[in-house]
Amino acid sequence: MKNVKVWDPLVRIFHWSLVICFISNALITDPESQLHRQIGYVVAGLVAFRIIWGFIGSRHARFHDFPPSISGSVGQLSDMATGRKRIHVGHTPLGALMIYNLIVTLIGIAITGYMMTTLRFWGIEWVKELHEICVTWAEFSVVAHIAAVIWESRRTGVNLPKAMVTGSKTLPTEV
Amino acid sequence: MSSKTTPDGTTLGLLALIVTQAACSAFFLYDAVADIIADGMAAFNDVLLHVEMVATLSMILAVILEGRFLVRLLRRNAHAERGLSIASGALHDLMEQYFHEWGLTPSEADVATFAIKGLDIAEIAEVRGTAEGTVKTHLNAIYRKSGTSGRGALLGLLVDDLLAQPLIERKEPPKDMPKASGLA
Repeated sequence: MKNVKVWDPLVRIFHWSLVICFISNALITDPESQLHRQIGYVVAGLVAFRIIWGFIGSRHARFHDFPPSISGSVGQLSDMATGRKRIHVGHTPLGALMIYNLIVTLIGIAITGYMMTTLRFWGIEWVKELHEICVTWAEFSVVAHIAAVIWESRRTGVNLPKAMVTGSKTLPTEV
Repeated sequence: MSSKTTPDGTTLGLLALIVTQAACSAFFLYDAVADIIADGMAAFNDVLLHVEMVATLSMILAVILEGRFLVRLLRRNAHAERGLSIASGALHDLMEQYFHEWGLTPSEADVATFAIKGLDIAEIAEVRGTAEGTVKTHLNAIYRKSGTSGRGALLGLLVDDLLAQPLIERKEPPKDMPKASGLA
């Protein structure tokens, strides 16, 4: 067993802040309230920060470290199908796709949410519809994200949730 | 042997289909559940809801079946060697069938395939990214489940079956497979 530093503090603060904001706005706050809007701005800020950090951040935080890769994703699926363990130090290929999916969806939610606060788009049905569709998609994605993290942690024996808290992945030494 | 090879069109097409159908069924399911939450039992008076639910459930079933097919396809591709001749195709089918019969886990089936291909324990461990001890454990499970005494006996079992029938008619798998006696 060896510990490898993977996630820098800002990536972890971003992740868990986003978790808190998303749960608040999806499940708790009143969509018409001022608080819902303010949390929405925070989410937009967090996503903007993450995109910038994807270019200037630490090694595994950069988009360059986890490019969207179809062949990599199919490779990871093959590993799952055959029970092989290829350890990825940073984001796995499927994990990377989920990150891009969530970033795009959250941008969609933030834009349509902001539009509803403007005079031009307030009360227009398709904006509200789109906002809700994006939120539903994000909720579905979050459930898939959590399920995949649990599945991959069990399959590879690397505790991924712990890594997002402490910043270090504990990898088996023989790999 | 590496999974870094470019995936073929069938795999990608199937993957795209699964993703699209999964996304659609998730939305339909959400819609149906939202209707039921909003209208309670009264929602069931609407014929459209029943149609929607049947459509959604059959799509979910299709996604599951496609998923299983994809898993088989990925395994096959992961084990495929260059030039799939009739012999290797028939051997592969036979192997898959036996592995299923013996109840091997995906990992054990993967190890068994490499063992039959002649890789040693260290090589299998490297390909699979696991410890050699893990491979040994898998091999023991394979020999126990198949009732064979070792790699030679395992290979013999397959070769025996393969020689017992003409290679061309490999569509019809042997119906009465022996329940793994230690022959060969």
